[in-house]
Amino acid sequence: MMRLRTKLSLFNLLTRLIFTVLFIILMPFIIERINLRQVDNNLIEKREKMISLISETGIEPFIISDTSNAFGSYNILKEEFISLEKIDTEEDLNYIDVTPRLIEGEEIGYRVLTYSFNVDGQKYLLEVGKSIQSIVETGKDIRNVMLVFLILIILFTFIADYQYTRAILNPLEKIKNKLKLVSDPALFDMTPVRTNTSDFVALDKTLCELMDNINKLFRKEKDITVNISHELLTPVSVLRSKLENILLRENLDHDIEARIEESLKTLHRLQSLVNSLLMIAKIESQQYLREDAVSVTEILEEVANEIEPLSEDAGIMLMRELIDDLRIEKANRSLIFSMFYNIVNNSVRNTPSGGRIIIESRYLNKDFFVLISDNGKGLTEEQKESLFSRFRMRNKESGEGTGIGLAIAKTIADFHGIDVSVKSGQGKGTKFTFLFPGKSAF
Amino acid sequence: MNVLIVEDEKSLAHEIAEFLRSENFLCETASTGREASEKISINLYDFILLDIGLPDYNGLDLLKEARLNNRDASFIIITARGAVEDKVKGLDLGADDYLAKPFALVELLSRINAVARRKFNIHASDIPLGLFEMQVSARKLICNGNDVDLTKKEYDLLQYLVLNRGRVLTRQQLYEHIWGNILDDQYDSNFIDVHIKNLRKKLNSHAPTPWLETVRGVGYRISIPE
Repeated sequence: MMRLRTKLSLFNLLTRLIFTVLFIILMPFIIERINLRQVDNNLIEKREKMISLISETGIEPFIISDTSNAFGSYNILKEEFISLEKIDTEEDLNYIDVTPRLIEGEEIGYRVLTYSFNVDGQKYLLEVGKSIQSIVETGKDIRNVMLVFLILIILFTFIADYQYTRAILNPLEKIKNKLKLVSDPALFDMTPVRTNTSDFVALDKTLCELMDNINKLFRKEKDITVNISHELLTPVSVLRSKLENILLRENLDHDIEARIEESLKTLHRLQSLVNSLLMIAKIESQQYLREDAVSVTEILEEVANEIEPLSEDAGIMLMRELIDDLRIEKANRSLIFSMFYNIVNNSVRNTPSGGRIIIESRYLNKDFFVLISDNGKGLTEEQKESLFSRFRMRNKESGEGTGIGLAIAKTIADFHGIDVSVKSGQGKGTKFTFLFPGKSAF
Repeated sequence: MNVLIVEDEKSLAHEIAEFLRSENFLCETASTGREASEKISINLYDFILLDIGLPDYNGLDLLKEARLNNRDASFIIITARGAVEDKVKGLDLGADDYLAKPFALVELLSRINAVARRKFNIHASDIPLGLFEMQVSARKLICNGNDVDLTKKEYDLLQYLVLNRGRVLTRQQLYEHIWGNILDDQYDSNFIDVHIKNLRKKLNSHAPTPWLETVRGVGYRISIPE
């Protein structure tokens, strides 16, 4: 993973390097060509000068007839020469090429212009030369200067690029940080990010709108749960009070008493179902606060203490192996308690007399786990699949509860970012595993 | 004591009033916020039971208003909305207690009594239970000069039965009083039976407890001649 601005700068650097390398490879040829053309032009210029000189003064100042056939002149360092001689050929010569020349016992490579012309019926050959050595020297100089210049440019542009992309991508960084801080859309920072890049303005605006929409939906859901709870719980409340008042009458027939209690029990089942569904809805629409700092083992101890009378009565051994503790800074204590309570209570219900339940808490490879396992009858594959769903079949044997306890536990775990999984096989008992997120998540 | 029941569901207000009258309270009811507002400005009450989910009035505003006109009244908020913020806000605004619908009438009574005891600084007197004695203020049960060793839950259970002596309490009423609503789903009648069984066992090792009755099919009752 790499940051966007690093990627951009690196890409720029890479393309620049590729071009530079290409340039460095091609540069000698280019420089040589340019140099040669310049030299050739220079040689042609010199030839023209010689021709005009000869046409002005005649050939005599250079070649005196009969005594000598040739004329030659070098500068001191033998970098250049001009020679003129009589020749006897029919063809006209006019070309430039490179030839070695022996001058005062020294062989030197020259770029030589060869040109033939006629004066008074006699054919003359003019040669103008420049030493290759001097050509190569100037080429080298140019190359060195250019190399240094290129390296400086690359360094400078890389730094400039990096700084510029950083400045230009800064709003994106801010938007990213805004998102990172948000755990609840209601807390999203709606102040627009300052930028004149239209893409970022659009992005920022879209995000704000999105968060606003989510907020509206949450509020709507909140209102719906509140209204449903009011609509459902009010009639239950009326019925309950009526039945309780009847039950308080003196001299009531015992049979009627028992029937009323039976009705109250049924009513209570309805009440707990509504309350459970509401609880799940309320957790899912973030209506519970997470403001308690809790110790996980402390809560587990408490759960075990609560359940112990029940498990003892059922002839089940409840064992605690609370080895390590984890402190959660942002939790809802009563919800965490309910989560563990529901799971342990579920185990008690599904374990026969003589069985055992183990509550463990410990670190395994830096991760904090709570394990709740029993050696009860276990679950079938089918049961396992629908274990956390809200309308699981009620436990027909005990007939108590709404069977929604595990769904509540799962919702609470999700709310706190706790990963809960179950391992079970028929006759092999059931094991619930709670994996707590790393410290940074709280 | 004078009680005003502010509740828009008339039949519920009626049941609450009937129950409280049987406990010798004087009751009036108001089914709208306006009616309640009028009654509060004219009369003085000891207790105001306030359903904050009124259709015509913000219940929390009514609470503020009522506290200005009825400085000596105690307030118990009743709500079916179950929103956590409502509870926090209500208690912040000076309500003395909070009850979520549906609640048991005996629970309402015990809350009223608790608030009254706090308000008038009444020390609960010791209650004789056959050969036992319950020292309510010290949260202790004594038998022949010896402390009976009870867990917190067992003591709470016994005390709730004692405070409602002469009345049958259903397992659900007992459960709700002691465990509240948070464990609602896991309500298990067996739970109360187990605790009563343990309680009986502990008490019987000190002295017999013929006053702790099981009312078959209904619940439990403590009957001690007053």
